[in-house]
Amino acid sequence: MWFLENAWLIPVIPSVGFAVILLFGRRLPLKGSEVGLASMLASLVLSVGAAAQWIHRVPSGEAYVGPVIRQWTWWQIGGEKFTIGTHIDGLAVTLLFVVALISTLVQLYSIEYLRGDRRYTHFFAALTLFSAGMLCMVAAESTIEFILGWEIMGLCSFMLIGHWWEDGANSRAALKAFLTVRCGDVGLLVGISMMFWGAHSFSIQKINEWAMSGTGSKTLLLWGAVALFIACIGKSGQFPLHTWLPDAMAGPTPVSSLLHSSTMVVAGVYLVARFYPVFYQGFHIADGGINLVCLIGGITVVIAAAVAFVQNDIKKVLAYSTVSQLGYMVMGLGVGAWTPAVFHIFTHAFFKACLFLGAGSVSHSGSHHSFDMKKDMGGLARKMPVTAATFIVSTLALAGIFPLAGFWSKDAILAAAGDHGYRLFMVVGLVGAFLTAAYMARCVYLTFFGQARGAAAGLHAHDQAEVGAGGSEHEEEPVVVHVGAGSHAVADAHDAQAGHDDHGAAGPHESNWLLTLPLVVLSFGAAFAGLLNAEGFHIDNFTRWVQPRIAEGVAAFPKIEPTTFKWGDAMLSVAIAAVGLVVGFLVCRAVYERDLAKDLTKRNRLAGIGYGFLWNKYYLDVLYEKVVVAAVSGPISNAAYWVNQHVIDGFVNAVGVGGREAGDWVYRNVDQRAIDGTVSGVALGVEGSGSLLRRLQTGKVQQYGALLFAAAAIGALVLVIVV
Amino acid sequence: MFLFAVAGWVRPVVDYHALAPEIVLTAVIVGLLLADLFLPERTKWATSTIAGLGLLGAALPVLTLAVDGTERAMFGGAYVVDDFALVLKALFLIAGYVVVLLSANYVEEGDYYQGEYYFLLLSSVLGMMVMASARDFISMFVALEALSIPAYMLAAWRKRDTRSNEAGMKYFLLGVFASAVMLYGMSLIYGVTGSTLFTAVAASLHKGSLLNGTLHTANPAIVTLGIVFVVVGFAFKVSAVPFHSWAPDTYEGAPTPVTAFLSVASKAAGFVALLTLVFIAFPFSKDVWEPLFWVLAAMTMTLGNVVALRQTNIVRMLAYSSIAQGGFILMPLAVIGHGRTAAGDALTAVVTYLIVYAAMNLGAFAVVLAVTRKTRSGEIASFGGLFAYAPGLTLAMTVFLFSLAGIPPLGGWIAKFTVFRALISAGGGWAAALAVIGGVNSVIALYYYANVARAMWMDPVADDDTTPIRVPASLGLALVLTGGATVLIGVLPGLVLRFGNLTTSTFTAAFGS
Amino acid sequence: MHLTDNNWLLSAAVFVPLLGALVVMAVPKAYEREIKVVALLTALATAGIGVALLSLFDYGNAQKLQFFTDRSWIPVIHARYIMGLDGLGLPLLILSMVIVVLVIVYSWDHIPEPGNPKAFLALILILEVGMNGTFVAQDLILFFVFFEVVLLPMYFMIGVWGGEQRQYAAIKFFLYTLFGSALMLLGFLALFFKTGAESFSIEYLAAHSSSIVHSTQLWIFGGLFMGFAIKVPMFPFHTWLPDAHTQAPTQGSVILAAILLKLGTFGFVRIAIPVLPGAATTWAPWIALLAVIGIIYGALACLAQTDMKRLIAFSSVAHMGFVMLGISTLTSFGINAAMFGMVAHGLITGMLFFIAGSVKERYHTLEIRRLGGLLKQAPHLGWILGFCAMASLGLPGLAGFWGEFPAILSSYQPAKGLPVETFRTFMVVAAIGTVLAASYLLWLFQRTAFGEPSEEFSHHHISDMHAPEWIAWTPLLAAIVVLGLLPNLLFKVLDPAIVHTTLSAFKG
Repeated sequence: MWFLENAWLIPVIPSVGFAVILLFGRRLPLKGSEVGLASMLASLVLSVGAAAQWIHRVPSGEAYVGPVIRQWTWWQIGGEKFTIGTHIDGLAVTLLFVVALISTLVQLYSIEYLRGDRRYTHFFAALTLFSAGMLCMVAAESTIEFILGWEIMGLCSFMLIGHWWEDGANSRAALKAFLTVRCGDVGLLVGISMMFWGAHSFSIQKINEWAMSGTGSKTLLLWGAVALFIACIGKSGQFPLHTWLPDAMAGPTPVSSLLHSSTMVVAGVYLVARFYPVFYQGFHIADGGINLVCLIGGITVVIAAAVAFVQNDIKKVLAYSTVSQLGYMVMGLGVGAWTPAVFHIFTHAFFKACLFLGAGSVSHSGSHHSFDMKKDMGGLARKMPVTAATFIVSTLALAGIFPLAGFWSKDAILAAAGDHGYRLFMVVGLVGAFLTAAYMARCVYLTFFGQARGAAAGLHAHDQAEVGAGGSEHEEEPVVVHVGAGSHAVADAHDAQAGHDDHGAAGPHESNWLLTLPLVVLSFGAAFAGLLNAEGFHIDNFTRWVQPRIAEGVAAFPKIEPTTFKWGDAMLSVAIAAVGLVVGFLVCRAVYERDLAKDLTKRNRLAGIGYGFLWNKYYLDVLYEKVVVAAVSGPISNAAYWVNQHVIDGFVNAVGVGGREAGDWVYRNVDQRAIDGTVSGVALGVEGSGSLLRRLQTGKVQQYGALLFAAAAIGALVLVIVV
Repeated sequence: MFLFAVAGWVRPVVDYHALAPEIVLTAVIVGLLLADLFLPERTKWATSTIAGLGLLGAALPVLTLAVDGTERAMFGGAYVVDDFALVLKALFLIAGYVVVLLSANYVEEGDYYQGEYYFLLLSSVLGMMVMASARDFISMFVALEALSIPAYMLAAWRKRDTRSNEAGMKYFLLGVFASAVMLYGMSLIYGVTGSTLFTAVAASLHKGSLLNGTLHTANPAIVTLGIVFVVVGFAFKVSAVPFHSWAPDTYEGAPTPVTAFLSVASKAAGFVALLTLVFIAFPFSKDVWEPLFWVLAAMTMTLGNVVALRQTNIVRMLAYSSIAQGGFILMPLAVIGHGRTAAGDALTAVVTYLIVYAAMNLGAFAVVLAVTRKTRSGEIASFGGLFAYAPGLTLAMTVFLFSLAGIPPLGGWIAKFTVFRALISAGGGWAAALAVIGGVNSVIALYYYANVARAMWMDPVADDDTTPIRVPASLGLALVLTGGATVLIGVLPGLVLRFGNLTTSTFTAAFGS
Repeated sequence: MHLTDNNWLLSAAVFVPLLGALVVMAVPKAYEREIKVVALLTALATAGIGVALLSLFDYGNAQKLQFFTDRSWIPVIHARYIMGLDGLGLPLLILSMVIVVLVIVYSWDHIPEPGNPKAFLALILILEVGMNGTFVAQDLILFFVFFEVVLLPMYFMIGVWGGEQRQYAAIKFFLYTLFGSALMLLGFLALFFKTGAESFSIEYLAAHSSSIVHSTQLWIFGGLFMGFAIKVPMFPFHTWLPDAHTQAPTQGSVILAAILLKLGTFGFVRIAIPVLPGAATTWAPWIALLAVIGIIYGALACLAQTDMKRLIAFSSVAHMGFVMLGISTLTSFGINAAMFGMVAHGLITGMLFFIAGSVKERYHTLEIRRLGGLLKQAPHLGWILGFCAMASLGLPGLAGFWGEFPAILSSYQPAKGLPVETFRTFMVVAAIGTVLAASYLLWLFQRTAFGEPSEEFSHHHISDMHAPEWIAWTPLLAAIVVLGLLPNLLFKVLDPAIVHTTLSAFKG
């Protein structure tokens, strides 16, 4: 039990590591990277230990196993205690393991990849804190703690995406990512507040119990679920807030890999999985009726996959594939397939991380820091066998080819959708599977097969970077935000240049072990992780370990129906995927080798429109940036400020000026005019005493007197009448 | 009661202790004349010393009387020496002393007739002292003239300067006019009550007067007329709007020390008279004077402040500011009728205000004198950058100005506070409304006071002459006295409130309990 | 039930700075160094008293008034010299002591034009008298006096050492605030007489105010509201703030943001609500409305700014909006959040103004579009700016969050008798405000710190932080982190006081 009891160490160690790197990193031999790696390794060991103990803790059968909860009082006001602690169960253990593992590999990878970067130490500090944030959120016992981890990740994503902030495009991308996620956070803050007032606690366990107890008000549950789901949409890049994810590619590749495989974007899905009872009750999940969760998930699956086809930046292809895969998970949660969804988080982490790192390896040693598949890649399979092999394995896993990881998890989701009466979403899933296979085939083809182009053909780095930049600039005309392969590649290139010009002229070659080792490890995961829950072979370890058991007394979790595995459906989906692969591969060869589709978009208007539509991500970015953001930061705020200056402040000033003017007027017209025409008799005084008498005769003082007496008389009369 | 009606002339008992202050002062005045006659020109400065010491000397019996504490009435109650009278006599004497300090160099350097100057000054102070004790129309009128006539001459003292002449002339003519109006009012009152003695007037206005065996109830219209005219007479003295028109010109034209004297001492005398009248003579006619004071107060504050906003000459600004301050002092008078506690609070407020006001206003004039001695200009602009070369004076002026504005912890705040307190304690919509008007006015006032401070602290030096200012000893002493008083009162208001708190006196008796 | 031992400490805490000011005035102008030393020593001595208070404070009885002293002051008007310190006052008192020390340290080589450290430091010390006094005064008249004492020094600080339109800003600040406090004073007097003209002691009034008719209570509360709301400042009365902040010298802005604004909110918590609970309940929804308007409106105004300092100034409006929202819920949650928010805002916005001052000193401009690449030229300064921006937008783990989230949380469930739906709407609006906050702060950071230095400055040598800056800032930064991680340090002190003092009337 020790590991489960002391799981709090898992997030704490990296956060300490972060502090150490920040304070002493520069003075260390490896510039702080060793600290980061060490702390992640420690967390990995601890999580493995925790996992082992958890597995040991859950017996086979249906017996109830509660989560291991430690809590300390953090602060208290108004009699309410606010706890902090760890809430360890199958779900948490799974994520802890995945996050720790992938973080470790990514750190290892980064040591080589970022070598010579001008902010090497900063990078590792941020990376470590990033993992710490995710781990903290995963292990969170209270919702406040959850928010803490959640927001820390937001912060780190800001710092990492904007790592090369000299380039305006990168810093804009960072800002965009943070603000988009922040929009979702409104939902989180509101939702968690509502949960608190519903369950009168910040403890996740209590909230779930309350949600299941059925005593809570239905509207509260519904709106709370909606609010929380908005947070998920923002964080996990679900439609319609998915537009920040591709831009986030501006960060260094290891970041993209970490961010897209196991941390950050998964947080949203994890939120739903964590508070599943709330959504289950709020949305009446798994009753066969369409609900917000599965709807959004379904939409995301398809639209993201479609956009992936028109990307030339390999990382963006992968980014959209992530969005679409997250769509699968959300959809799974939406149709009541909790375990399959979590399982998909698990498997997806491996192959997606592997793909990103592979892309990084390619750009690092193959395409000279360019990510443009059309310009700088092709035919790399021979030159970089390891990278290619691992990349392809992961691709197959992603496409859901039997018996790789992706197959088992994705198929379970689809099966569950079918079982729970969501045939429609099952179809959506299959369409998605086809598209996925196809665009991944395109990606692989362009990268590793066909003839070498650009840098892959060994052209010199610098002019290449220029070309890449210029070219992609021109290509990205229709794109709204210029966070493109080109500009990014340039930054990347120049950074890394300092470090290793050695192979500058050497042309494409295999990366060294620091890069390939993680690839290999991950590709193994991508290949075999699925077997943990290979229902086809009646293996359901994962379900047994992770799926919460229902307690006799108080239920903290809905009953998850086991899905029945049908070889028929499974083979169908595999077939679809396979077809997708083949078709994609052939079409690519046709198009790119023989140039069949030479300016198809120009010849065929429909194709052109469709292309532009996809290229612009359905014009959502236009809506956000050109309409919403532009309006708020432009006219609206200016209007507010104008009101401030001219209406509110204007009023204040008017009072002031008015007062002074009134003074002027009264002084001239009342106070002095009553006495004599001139502003002040004094001025005339200088004429000498002779004139003084004259002026007295002109009735100056008589006027004084008259005034005095008149006032007296009037006052008297008024009072005589009144009194 | 019918002192003058019955029998022949009875020799009144004279309580010399009670009269001691006035007697001492008279002696000093005579001494001054003689000294002026025999002193050679170069030792004329001694006259100022004599005057100063004389005023302080006259303060001694005031102290003994205060210690003794018994209330003394003479001449059938026409002349009373009680706490109220003593406090104000002390105030007049000290204010007079400070004015002497202010005058010393001014008069000396301006080579005016020094002896006569102080003679007139002290005579005026004498008049004020009588005013403090007067409980009868006749003695009050005598006191008024005694304090006014010398003031007219003082105003015209710079005889080679036509402005000064005009100031004196204007002040004189209008003063006489006001006295006439007031006399008319008094005669009306006498006509309907058959008495000049305040207590008797009050009694007969309350129950009607017994003449030739038949009870006459006074005709309200005539009473009203009379009261209004009397009040108007003094409203002129305290330069309440719309009877203020003489003040700015006179203040600006008169020698600055005299201006200080007029704006503090003779204004205070006017308020003393108003208080005595309201409390002793007309306590039962509050329907007449309460609204009258309400309107006067509101108009005086507002117009004084609003007009002061645009003054560019410091003395003229202070003139209007003192008009506005008069408005503040008038406010409590508008609620005296609201029962005994209200009356008591109002009395406290007015007396307190007079004391604090004397300190800070005299101080302000002292600084003006000190600065104009160098810059030879009364323009506010000429105060520009004063902080650069005269930080001490700047600090002092800042203290006085913001005290006038009523910013804690400077004396002025407690004065304003007591006024608001009196209004709120009286309660009722009208009082509250007046209080709000006062609040707004205190904000307006701050603007022009701060304006001077701004010039001193934030503006560049007007003419690049930054030779430090030499402050003569007497002026310095005046500054120390007034400045010290202003700050001390602000921090420990108890000191002044002890004197202001006269609720125990017979004054408020008429307003029941 | 007061703890009156060591009751001289509070008086010392208030008047030691006054002594220091007098000494400073006594030292001849030429001896600048000595003047600075004296000022610093005074501030340190005061802070030392603060430490003594912290160590002697009985945390078990945070709701009790401790170091309590009650002496005769102005018997005629029943005003007494009552001072006491409870959980409400303690944090702000300490904050003001610390801030003054840091400001003086910062002044070591940052005396703004036109120089004259003597007057400058004397004014700062006099300011401290007023600030410390306000937080410990337990008698309305005493409170009023201290409340006003801060006006003059701040007026001169802005007017003499300020920017281009300093005179306008200074007089505006002065008049606006005085207007409020005049009405506030009338409110105090009304309270006094309506409770039997017995005492101005806050405790007494709180105990006897129930006798006042509701309508009258509403009017009196209105008076107090004007006084405090203008000081806060709340939405329609805020326009003096941007000008004052923008024109004031760095030190002035810091003190203004860190302490002076708190006098208003503190007034609500210390006086208005406990003394007039009934009226507070009636007013609360309107206060909340103004608060949320302030949140959104202030944020929008920030987005429109082209000047860094003015942007920070407007952000104060938004943040104080959160504070007022918390107060207006009349729940212990909300008011705890508000008090925490005050301290947090004091630390964070104070820091931001420090940074703005240092940027101005280096670049001689705060025009956002002319800045850029701060991280390249002065990395430490840049990262500290980023840190403060993050803290200010309410990142959990830093102080700002604890003022923001509980306020939002509490407005979901306001006190009994308040319109729940209204407040829930406000909650959502306020939550949206956090997005805007993030956008203007990070946008500011992105435009000033990221990217390459602009042409005109790319060749200047921009020095990174100096020693005085490090010394003055480190404590604030540390406090931001510590309070962010251990909020209980504050809540432990605040909560009892809030429950038993501020909300005593709302029990049951």
